[in-house]
Amino acid sequence: MLFILEDAINGILMGSIYGLAALGLTVIFGVLKVINFAHGSLLMVGMYVAYWAVVLTGVHPYISLVIVVPVMFCFGYFLQDILIKPIFKAEKQVREPITVIIVTTGVWYILDNLSLMVFGPQYRNIQDNPLQGKMLEIGQMLISVPKLWGFCTAVLTALVIYGFLQKTRMGRAVRATSLDREAASLQGINQYKMYNIAFGIGTAVAGIAGATLVPFYNVFPTVGVLFDIKCFIIVVLGGLGSIAGALLGGMIVGIIESVGPQFMTATWTEAIVYGLFLVFLFLKPSGLFGVRYDW
Amino acid sequence: MKPSLARKLPLILVAVIALGLPLVVRSATYLHIVILLYLYAYLTTSWNLVGGFAGVLPLGHATFVGIGAYTSTILSLQYGISPWIGMLVGAVLASIVGVIIGLPTFKMRGAYFALATIAFAEGIRVMVENIDFLGPFQLNGPRGLQIPPLKTGIAHFMFAEKEPYYYIILAMLAGVLTITWAISRSKLGYYLMAGGEEPEAAQALGVNVARAKLTAMALSSFLTAFAGTFWAQFTLYIHPKSVMSLDISFEIAFIALIGGRGSISGPVLGALLLRPVSDFSRIYFGSTLPGLHLIIFGVVLILVMLYQPRGLQEPLTGLYKSLMKRLSGAREATA
Repeated sequence: MLFILEDAINGILMGSIYGLAALGLTVIFGVLKVINFAHGSLLMVGMYVAYWAVVLTGVHPYISLVIVVPVMFCFGYFLQDILIKPIFKAEKQVREPITVIIVTTGVWYILDNLSLMVFGPQYRNIQDNPLQGKMLEIGQMLISVPKLWGFCTAVLTALVIYGFLQKTRMGRAVRATSLDREAASLQGINQYKMYNIAFGIGTAVAGIAGATLVPFYNVFPTVGVLFDIKCFIIVVLGGLGSIAGALLGGMIVGIIESVGPQFMTATWTEAIVYGLFLVFLFLKPSGLFGVRYDW
Repeated sequence: MKPSLARKLPLILVAVIALGLPLVVRSATYLHIVILLYLYAYLTTSWNLVGGFAGVLPLGHATFVGIGAYTSTILSLQYGISPWIGMLVGAVLASIVGVIIGLPTFKMRGAYFALATIAFAEGIRVMVENIDFLGPFQLNGPRGLQIPPLKTGIAHFMFAEKEPYYYIILAMLAGVLTITWAISRSKLGYYLMAGGEEPEAAQALGVNVARAKLTAMALSSFLTAFAGTFWAQFTLYIHPKSVMSLDISFEIAFIALIGGRGSISGPVLGALLLRPVSDFSRIYFGSTLPGLHLIIFGVVLILVMLYQPRGLQEPLTGLYKSLMKRLSGAREATA
């Protein structure tokens, strides 16, 4: 029984990091109404930025966030500005341009293979960083310390984004754009700038998730693919566009992945996650917290 | 020159070139590349029935490739049934799965549909990877199935040379193109296009959009499974990653989108343009610049989507038409 509790706790911690990665996707979806297929690759870029920041300067992995967040925000801001904005301008009437899926898939392929070319296929991890392999002993349970840090980061990030969207003037403008882009434009809000900002925030969050993974996870060019589909599943579970839903969805997936192997072969848990995703998609496509969505 | 002949002449020319190619290309490597090109043109044309005509974005067609490959291989390895019969059984099975996937997903819009097809395809792949025995059938999990090259000949769908494979896939490609051409002029084709562009308006006019889409899905998965059997017999080794991976699903969709979805020539054009890029960059830059062809794919895909969203087929046919006009004009002037 204690084993299961231990697995469940570690699953929740790991799941909150999945949720953090999915959080970026959900912010982008919430505002732009499109699914960013390059999200996993953006996470991969964030991991490399954090990795090199730590390796080159030797700082604590979490201090690398000072570099990761602005770099990733600008990356996302200009990615949307250069590649995705033209599609929105060309397809003004379409509410969810499917072309964006295709273009972001192109970005995914380019980023993954560029990093394969530049950094090579090898798995990298940060040797002797202060968090590596640390375990917290509670009674007879062992809790992973880097994952605990990740959990705190995830909750904190979610609160900051929630606060930004609810309390600040710019956050309100972003929300207005997400509700009705035409009406928002009529109020003098530059909708394309709001899209840039939302995409920048989403990318920065993917970067934060990458930085929290770096202390205990390998960095390699296709690491994003592992998170890509997981993020899609999580945001649908939690409700596309919902911040709390992303974290909760992530934790559900995390628990399945870590408790499941007690009862079955570990690889089967993946099939269960896909099954759960499909069940939600058919029965409750708005997810746990999503608003009812006409589709 | 009569206009009807002028229109037929290029087709005849293409047919002659395609039929005579193995007589000129003697290198097995190059023939292999051409066979894969045709295979992808075939897969993409089959995909196009749903992804092009019906206007949705299915991203899980590798499932049907896998079903086709596994069905015929299991039947021939474990029951001694000819792969030709297995090919049909696999296709029927694939179209049943296609309808099962299509029934709930066609109600979804845009991104949800794409995600659902990915989830189905990946879920099925994970299951195949985890199952060694499915009832009496041996799937062998992640290790896959090897087809021992014992008996060659047309009855066993196995040949020592590449030429027979070349002509089989050429015939398959010609067949699927004819089917697509016929559908594009049939009621079903018009229903699909109407339903893909304006589902509400089409429904208001009495078109059963859902049924048209399901029919297209059944046909598309049926045809895709054929390619799976061909793949298995051509490579003689299948495993879940090789015949069911997401990469295949994505490459099929990429080729169609770059070539021009919803048109007949688009998928073939896309395969003609992209497959050589992928094969030759792998041959020449495989060790120094790994993944170069995927970067090229991505860049081309983005550029096409931004500047030529209906695919490269449109400007290329325009170019071809003006060229033909100038040629015939020049001929008339001299005559």
